[in-house]
Amino acid sequence: MEDPQLHKIAISGPTLASMIQRFSSSLGDVDGFLFGHVTQITPSNLSDDSSSSDSDSQLVATITGFFCSGQNLSFYDSLGRVNSLRVPSPNNHQHHNLIGWFSGRRQSPLRPSLREFSVTNSLSKTPQFRFSVKTSSQSPTNQTLAPSVFILFTTPLTDQLIHTHQYRAYQLHASNKLSSSASSPSFHAKSLDVVNIGPAFRGHYDSFSPNCALPLLNCDTRNSCSAMNVESLTAQREKISDQKQLDSCAEGFLVETLSLLMGPEASSYTGAVEDLYEKMLAKIDILARLVETSSDKVLELENHNRKLRYKVARSSGLE
Amino acid sequence: MSGGDGFPPFISAQLHYLMNHFPHSIKVDKVWSGSKYSGNLDRFTLLIPYCLDTIKWDILYNAEFPFAAPDVIFGPEDEDFHPFLLKGDEGGGEGGLYAIKNSLCNWNNKDPSRLLALIKDLRDQYTAYQRKRVGEVDDERVKFEISTMFAREGIEMHMSSGVEKVQSEEVKFAVPLMDMSINKMVVGCHWRHEQKIYLQVVYPVNRKYMSAPSAPRLKLMSTPELKYMFSIDDVKLPTWLDGMCMAEYLPHLEESLERQVSEAVTLIDVRRRFIEALAPLLGRPVETDSVFYRKTMFFVTSGAFSFMVQLFLSTQFPKQQPAMMLISSMYFHTSGIPIKSPLLSDYPWSPRWDTSQMAERIFEFVADESLNFRKFCSEGHLPH
Repeated sequence: MEDPQLHKIAISGPTLASMIQRFSSSLGDVDGFLFGHVTQITPSNLSDDSSSSDSDSQLVATITGFFCSGQNLSFYDSLGRVNSLRVPSPNNHQHHNLIGWFSGRRQSPLRPSLREFSVTNSLSKTPQFRFSVKTSSQSPTNQTLAPSVFILFTTPLTDQLIHTHQYRAYQLHASNKLSSSASSPSFHAKSLDVVNIGPAFRGHYDSFSPNCALPLLNCDTRNSCSAMNVESLTAQREKISDQKQLDSCAEGFLVETLSLLMGPEASSYTGAVEDLYEKMLAKIDILARLVETSSDKVLELENHNRKLRYKVARSSGLE
Repeated sequence: MSGGDGFPPFISAQLHYLMNHFPHSIKVDKVWSGSKYSGNLDRFTLLIPYCLDTIKWDILYNAEFPFAAPDVIFGPEDEDFHPFLLKGDEGGGEGGLYAIKNSLCNWNNKDPSRLLALIKDLRDQYTAYQRKRVGEVDDERVKFEISTMFAREGIEMHMSSGVEKVQSEEVKFAVPLMDMSINKMVVGCHWRHEQKIYLQVVYPVNRKYMSAPSAPRLKLMSTPELKYMFSIDDVKLPTWLDGMCMAEYLPHLEESLERQVSEAVTLIDVRRRFIEALAPLLGRPVETDSVFYRKTMFFVTSGAFSFMVQLFLSTQFPKQQPAMMLISSMYFHTSGIPIKSPLLSDYPWSPRWDTSQMAERIFEFVADESLNFRKFCSEGHLPH
């Protein structure tokens, strides 16, 4: 089966900016995955022409997230064959499909390489990575697509003051060339729409769907009618663990006391709430420091590894 | 850290091996670094000869992981060239493809010949790819020419699709001429690459409605070092008659070329004998190109004045007289460069003279010219 062509690829400004940031702060070449969804949009046709058929609907890929490995060859070999075990397993979340991958390499031409072509080809040929296309009304269709999006980042070959990074988006697509009888896949350059805030992009925000992976916590489970013995034991256990998580966040502040914030006595309780906020802030501060020291350690280890690699390269090069 | 040229040692070794062992002369156009901090070079653009032109391929290693196999980016015109998608029966051979895959899979960074093998195999695949493209051209004449030249070995083809218009589509053939080794004909030859003469044939792709096919564009080309012995610019191509095809044209051309090349080889000996004849008159040459005898230098004294005589012999010698330059050994410019006479190529000469007479005439001319040169030198320049 042949996949339809994408009309364009959309990405939010911050996502693109943070991809470029990851690339530009990396030691060498990087690669990673692109997550998002593909939506079928039927452009509003003002004419009364009834001939508009199914082919008028356009597919738009929206990149909502990415994962950068920090190096290259992270999920494929030097021949470009994808190692499925290293690719995140598809989840059922319809907004967070694996829709493709990206490669960032410094000082090289802005054209896909031999290996990049093979990786994209291999990724799009693996049936387990196929995902379903949504319609604009958010409902999934039974049409599926392979992860065929590829974004290439490079830095210009000559030093330039203002223009420091460049990118190009592609879709790997099998098309029947006039000259050859067999259809062979090839890269098709796609326009990359950077979605920014502003009136021109209102449409994007109207169709925004939250993209939260956190499970919904049942607020204050103790007070619910637990006397009803319909719940199973596992559900009970889940509730208890949810409660523990909630309690650890609440810092001893009970949900019931929230009700006291209403009415005439409210002013006397603001102190208690402020106290809670302070405790939470302190906790966040501690967490931030923990993250800081651990990323310090990671950086230190990375540098150490790099030095070891250079050392090995040097010593065995002198053999 | 680096192999002296800015590349990490493994990459440097492979690159040097490639430069020294590639069957055609290959060039590194530009080098770059992909590292943020180390500045180690790890990527470069190669200029690879193909079909009497060059193709630009970028080779990307990774200085952060110098053990890993490199990646290749093909030229902007060849975005449809996907070696791994070519099938074995399309001309490149399954073997070459298998070798590429195997080499990339089990990359051995310690084997300096790996890059060479990779580029060679990829170039073979590229040849097959271009051959396939040319084979698909819908042009009766091109189809016919391919079928008649099928038996000739080593023909390279190229399909250039004009960027802006379909009308500018062209098919280019590089036909190696003469099945003989020129290298073996030259005594003491130091050519690293096998010297060859090629005929470049360019057919504009005809649309169906064009009636009479026009003559193809023909150009004779050779490997660059051949010019020391034989200049293809001096060859006059036979005319292409209407309705002719390559199979008719090539035998005549090859026959006449073979004659001219062997004549060029005998001319080496003529030049050698001429230089030898000069020795009793001008003294033993200080320096001589002892393979092609195109250049020689004598140290001459005329009374208290001494200077060098440099002689340049063209491939057309003795038809064309040697050009001469006198270089002072006593008078220098303020920058330290010795004073030289202009190139002298207008003096009595006849190609019908025998060698000893040629040498004698040269000697006489040098004797006369030395007076002028001495005056030229001493004007405003003090001897050192």
